[in-house]
Amino acid sequence: MHLYPDLLNLYGDRGNIECLKRRLQWRGIDAETVAYTCDDTGFELSDVDILFLGGGSDREQKIVCSRLLEHKEMIKDYAENGGTIIAVCGGYQLLGKYYKLEDETIEGLDVLDIYTEQGSKRLISNIILESDLIKAKIVGFENHGGRTFIGSHKPLGRVVYGHGNDESSRAEGVVYKNVVATYLHGPLLPKNPQLCDYILTNALRHKYADFDGLEPLDDSLENMANEYIVNRFVK
Amino acid sequence: MRKLIAIWAGKLLTVVGKLVGKKSSASPGAFALKICPALVSDINKIVTKKVIVTCGTNGKTTTNNLMCTALEAKGYKVLCNRLGANMLSGIATTYIQSADIFGRVKADYACLEIDEAYTPIVFRQIKPDIMVITNLFRDQLDRYGEIDITVNIIKRAIAEAGKVKMVLNADDPLCVQFGREANAEAVYYGISEKVLPQVDDTKEGRFCPICGAELDFEFYHYSQLGIYSCPGCGYKRPEPDYNITDISLKAPIRFKINGKAMEVNYKGFYNIYNLAAVYAALDVAGERTDDFNKLLEGYKPQIGRMQEFMFNKPVILSLSKNPAGFNQAIATVNSDDRKKDVIIAINDLANDGRDVSWLWDVDFHKIKDDNLNMLATTGIRVYDISLRFKYAGINVDLMTDSMKKAVLAALDTDSEVVYVLVNYTALYPAEAVLNELKGGKGSGR
Repeated sequence: MHLYPDLLNLYGDRGNIECLKRRLQWRGIDAETVAYTCDDTGFELSDVDILFLGGGSDREQKIVCSRLLEHKEMIKDYAENGGTIIAVCGGYQLLGKYYKLEDETIEGLDVLDIYTEQGSKRLISNIILESDLIKAKIVGFENHGGRTFIGSHKPLGRVVYGHGNDESSRAEGVVYKNVVATYLHGPLLPKNPQLCDYILTNALRHKYADFDGLEPLDDSLENMANEYIVNRFVK
Repeated sequence: MRKLIAIWAGKLLTVVGKLVGKKSSASPGAFALKICPALVSDINKIVTKKVIVTCGTNGKTTTNNLMCTALEAKGYKVLCNRLGANMLSGIATTYIQSADIFGRVKADYACLEIDEAYTPIVFRQIKPDIMVITNLFRDQLDRYGEIDITVNIIKRAIAEAGKVKMVLNADDPLCVQFGREANAEAVYYGISEKVLPQVDDTKEGRFCPICGAELDFEFYHYSQLGIYSCPGCGYKRPEPDYNITDISLKAPIRFKINGKAMEVNYKGFYNIYNLAAVYAALDVAGERTDDFNKLLEGYKPQIGRMQEFMFNKPVILSLSKNPAGFNQAIATVNSDDRKKDVIIAINDLANDGRDVSWLWDVDFHKIKDDNLNMLATTGIRVYDISLRFKYAGINVDLMTDSMKKAVLAALDTDSEVVYVLVNYTALYPAEAVLNELKGGKGSGR
């Protein structure tokens, strides 16, 4: 389910949705995207296998937040029970306890024990991570004013190039059960096919107890795009 | 004296720049401003008629240059930053280049295109009599940030401008809000009939800029441009003072402004907006518009504005800088029903925006229609644009690091026309390749 694509659509997020869907379909697995927009009512997660939460402008993010708070418990239960969530940028911040801005504090969904505070300058850069989850490096672009503090949670990766959650920790993103949240857009998944497959595998395992893994795909173009960024900024 | 030295230094730099073949039209001005920061502050005194500035995400350069052409055709001397260097430094360069050896500048009009982000800075020195705002779209997010930030910057600039006549696009809900500023006196131009198919592209300004409710649209032209009203607060598209109707998009483009027939030999729906903005601004400036068609005969588009190079078939070079621009370029390619090859070049240098995630906000998949023969990708981010097509289920026939190879391959197919769609820093190299292959001027890499 793509949450509020009409509001949270700032950084090519539809590429992430396309990527999830295509990589399932190319393997003969049926996949359907359901958009939940401002006009929809009857929020329900029982049939949802992957929940995607993208980034929006501050104004749009505030609208989304006030609407989602009504479903706070449902989203929290979904995550605790192993439901898959991918949250990028603004969506990442929303999963925490709060986002403290200069003149106000936006209450978060409290899915994760993390919080965000507005920093002095925006962190804007290409970014490269090393992650325990997958072999390849994770590449993307970050552009955020918030600094996110993940406490004892496990980060998505260690920053090799770029900024990350804040200026000093060298950590980026957060992973909790089947929740992956990050500042990386680009969009995130097309250039990181291993991460996409990692997320898909978790979601399929959660859905089908007897799921025995994804078939490999020809990822030569994806890998070239990924390696190009790594070679340009790290070597 | 300080000012004269600044002008001489700027002139010297311009000459040196020409000798070494530099294309930048901002650096002499930037240097001169260091010597004399208030260099351009007497433009209002110099100009005998009006200072007209043009802002907006897309169409600035075309609108500004059309305006200049029209005024020159009327016999006026016009100060114009024609090459599109649109920060204070670019304006300073223009000033220096039109100054004589004693530092004197003479002009009837100033036509200045200004980068939205720099409007408050420029307006501290130059007070516009007329301000045209073409549209506001999502642009390079790593440079400009979110669109709300740009809106606030422009509002600050208008406050700085003093009493100013605004020429605004009635069809853009983001634009129209500027007409409500206290010191603004606004006129509006707009297209009142449905012309293009209704598509589901990424729309930025679908929410009321006044109260935040979702706007009701009767129909869209493209992006958030259309006929809208707010169910919450009553904010709505104003009745255009310059009303465009009876549009025919087959070349030459035909339409009517307030019932008066126009015919121009340009491609692209969006050019109707550019022409209407010029028409409106001329009228607001008190100039006659009954000879409008004739005024624009001498207009030469800047490079990359659907610029045609003739080989064994036409090769058309088109610059786009953001999703709205690319979507319009793609719609223009789609409206050509000849058998065609398309080359797309994407760079990610500072002037392009280093973040290429916008590629996924463009409806690139629409490039695939019945008449598409060969699709080629190139540029620094050739892999990103190719991936974009892969995940749209479209086959890329040629992926190359060389624009020259892509063009040669396209010239070799049995297509009837070739379109080359590029973003900013890919433009000049693409033009150089096309000139080189033609064996004409400006060859080089």
